[in-house]
Amino acid sequence: MATDIQISIVGSAGDGTIAAGDILKNALAGMGYKIISFDVYPPEIRGFGKCIARMRVTTEQVYSLKHKSDVLISLDDSHAIPHADEVRECGAVIYERASIVQLPEGGHISAHIGPGQLPYPVPVRELAEKSTSANRSRNIVVLGFLAGLLDLPDGAFLKAIAKKFKRKAEAAAASEAAYRIGREFAAQTFKLDDVVFGPPVSTVVAGATVEMISGNAAIVRGALDAGIDTFFGYPITPATSIMERLAAEMPRRGGRLLQTEDEISAISAVIGAGFAGARAATSTSGPGLSLMAEMLGMGVIGEVPAVIFVSQRGGPSTGLPTKTEQSDLHMAVFGGHGDAPRIVIAPTNVDGCYRCAGKAFELAEAYQTPVIVLVDLYLSNRYETVVFPARPPFEADVNRRPGKQAAGTQYKRYTLGGDSISPRALPGEKGGMHVVTGLEHNELGRPSDQGEMHEAMSRKRHEKLKEALKHPDFTICKRFGDEGAVDVGVISWGSNFGESLEAMLKARGEGIRCAAMKVVMLSPFPTERVAAFLADCKEVLVPELNYQGQFANLLQSHVARPVTRLNRVPGEPMKVEDILEEIRRLAGRKAAQKAA
Amino acid sequence: MGEIKPVYLEEKLKEIEDSGRLDYRSKTLPTWCPGCGYFSIVEAVAASLCELNIPNENAVMVSGIGCSSRFPFFVNSYGMHTLHGRALPVATGVKTANDALTVVAVGGDGDGFAIGGGHVPHAARRNVDITYLLFDNGIYGLTKGQTSPTSAIGFRTPTSPYENPDRPLNPLLMLLSYGASWVGQAYAGRPDHLHRMITQAMAHRGFSYLHILSPCVTFDKTHRTYGNLGMQVRDLPADHDPTDRLAAMREAMDDALPALGLYFREERPTLADALDGLVEKAGGELPGKVAAKPVRKAARR
Repeated sequence: MATDIQISIVGSAGDGTIAAGDILKNALAGMGYKIISFDVYPPEIRGFGKCIARMRVTTEQVYSLKHKSDVLISLDDSHAIPHADEVRECGAVIYERASIVQLPEGGHISAHIGPGQLPYPVPVRELAEKSTSANRSRNIVVLGFLAGLLDLPDGAFLKAIAKKFKRKAEAAAASEAAYRIGREFAAQTFKLDDVVFGPPVSTVVAGATVEMISGNAAIVRGALDAGIDTFFGYPITPATSIMERLAAEMPRRGGRLLQTEDEISAISAVIGAGFAGARAATSTSGPGLSLMAEMLGMGVIGEVPAVIFVSQRGGPSTGLPTKTEQSDLHMAVFGGHGDAPRIVIAPTNVDGCYRCAGKAFELAEAYQTPVIVLVDLYLSNRYETVVFPARPPFEADVNRRPGKQAAGTQYKRYTLGGDSISPRALPGEKGGMHVVTGLEHNELGRPSDQGEMHEAMSRKRHEKLKEALKHPDFTICKRFGDEGAVDVGVISWGSNFGESLEAMLKARGEGIRCAAMKVVMLSPFPTERVAAFLADCKEVLVPELNYQGQFANLLQSHVARPVTRLNRVPGEPMKVEDILEEIRRLAGRKAAQKAA
Repeated sequence: MGEIKPVYLEEKLKEIEDSGRLDYRSKTLPTWCPGCGYFSIVEAVAASLCELNIPNENAVMVSGIGCSSRFPFFVNSYGMHTLHGRALPVATGVKTANDALTVVAVGGDGDGFAIGGGHVPHAARRNVDITYLLFDNGIYGLTKGQTSPTSAIGFRTPTSPYENPDRPLNPLLMLLSYGASWVGQAYAGRPDHLHRMITQAMAHRGFSYLHILSPCVTFDKTHRTYGNLGMQVRDLPADHDPTDRLAAMREAMDDALPALGLYFREERPTLADALDGLVEKAGGELPGKVAAKPVRKAARR
């Protein structure tokens, strides 16, 4: 029996909502289920902001969260009440049973549970106090209760708790006690017959490993597997955890990481290190990318490899630091002054984060240019079960190096002609001495403001990137769904592709002929393949999480054809239902036209 | 005053050629104005690289933007001519990627203390093993003579046509408090002393800061001229103790009569040492040193 269960935990900052979610998804992943999860939290560390830990647990491959949850756990009713109607018919709501005399009318979630939903009042606070003489482990008590209710094995939970409190023996013991008392209490209550975990399905290929990890953790793993040796960065939500993980991992492999004074310094040092031959990277979010724009252009004109991991959040300015958005596409692809072409790749899932992060170093080296890996908060913080290959699929060194110079000839760093990629000498190499400059230059790298030279060098910088569209073992775009002509084609990018794909698959299930395309390489743009896909579609839908339709703008600058835009900026993932509704409307409108 | 000896041009040229320092000058001729103090700096740097026997391909000159920042083109080595104010972080990146390189960051007063001012304290406190040569002419020369953060109060320029209302920074005092492990001052009008200071600064293991006073002969006819500077500069007192940071600060505070020489020097772990320490702490293994060859020991004749 296929399992497909979504569980949401809602609480206030400081309730341990996210921690409970971590333990739960680790336990379920440990049992062998596939997980997609995404947490929502406020910008403050404490205070009373809303926290949601949400996960979808499946045996089949899925691409996004569901619109409705099967189980809702409330750690704070004031925050959970608006989510009560997200629980499906015959789904469960688990909440605090304690006295509600101080609450205003309607302040208790019990008043909001629908007739079709199953209420599970639990004396959470009382049980927590009994088990640990403190009420801080309420979040673990409810996990114990949930495990009992769904009849899940203790082992996986206890292992996940031990992992969470690895260095805090006391907290681990208290949590275990809290878990057990919650589980015991569940024995006294009626079972939840409609939410049942089937046996997990193992899909592990020999040599491969399965891990449930976040997008940012996958980026780190990709960077490490590609041999990153230098990193410079400045903390910024939601990219910080990339730097934090690298700070722990890189020294173990002899690598060097430095927290710089700002993002300008970070990208400058990356460009310096790239010039000196290192595999260097930085990570940031939109505000940091704005600061990096000038040095990015220096990397472009100097033809210096650099990797920049960018995790977008709501903008402009400081915007919504802990909410997701896809509104830095224009900045990533076009940001900065002058004609400054660069490579921009945007993974669409956690597995893609791993592959793009590793491949970014290859692309930067092979095409001698800055490469931006563009994700967003949703993808950075989304957990998915990923199968990692036994051997990292990345090349260690793809530099094009100069051979021995013929006597009497001077090394030309920026030779024109051929595929426009010039052999690159590294400092320390005899006979390769040159100066990299932000000024326009001739083939030797000496400043030149001649019109002809500027034309030739501009062409070189643009032409060489076309080679990147043919880069081996890298998916630049991919089509899903029906082959040939379709009524509706959905084309999308980044984290939002998961919802787009789910919506398209659902629409197919409803008998609509449709297909979807994800575009991973945003710059240079895979115009030919995208145009071929669009030619197959009667209607084209472009859903994305920004107000302006930035991807639709990009698309239409390469392929002239009308598209329908679906733009939302709610700060959270798009609803599959909303995209599906739009597909239905477009398919129906098509039918209506035919009838007319 | 000793006896004045005649200098014959041919002899002098032969001496320069024999020294081998011309190997360190590129074929690109400097773009500076005739009489600019920076000519003597590029000569002195070439002489110092030669004296220290640093293979050309192991030297990297990194600069920002400004008259002085054209410097890398005039030295026969690797180089990066980067963005306004960013020489230090770029140099930090180069050095962090490859310890074996001799990295020299150069730039002007505007580049280092206006737009790039935020980077200086961090390069200094981290003790990045690079040399920072600051060419201070108290003016923005490349954009034709505007006010800089080391311009005097009352200085008139196209951007302060009545007068400059801001007091100038005291870079030496700043660097001493930022934690630079080698701080010195030289004057472009005293090339031999300048050369000796540059050699010392490059030989120092850690962040060495050399403040070089130089006139802008084209846009400053009133303040920082050869005539005025020549009268103002003095030597540090013979009994100055370069391990005494407070004494160095006291000397630096007298900026009306700038003292030349080594203000302060200390030995302490460099950024690379600290990062290698992290590798050890994490239980990792240090990678083999890459690419560049060790500095030649034998004298180059």
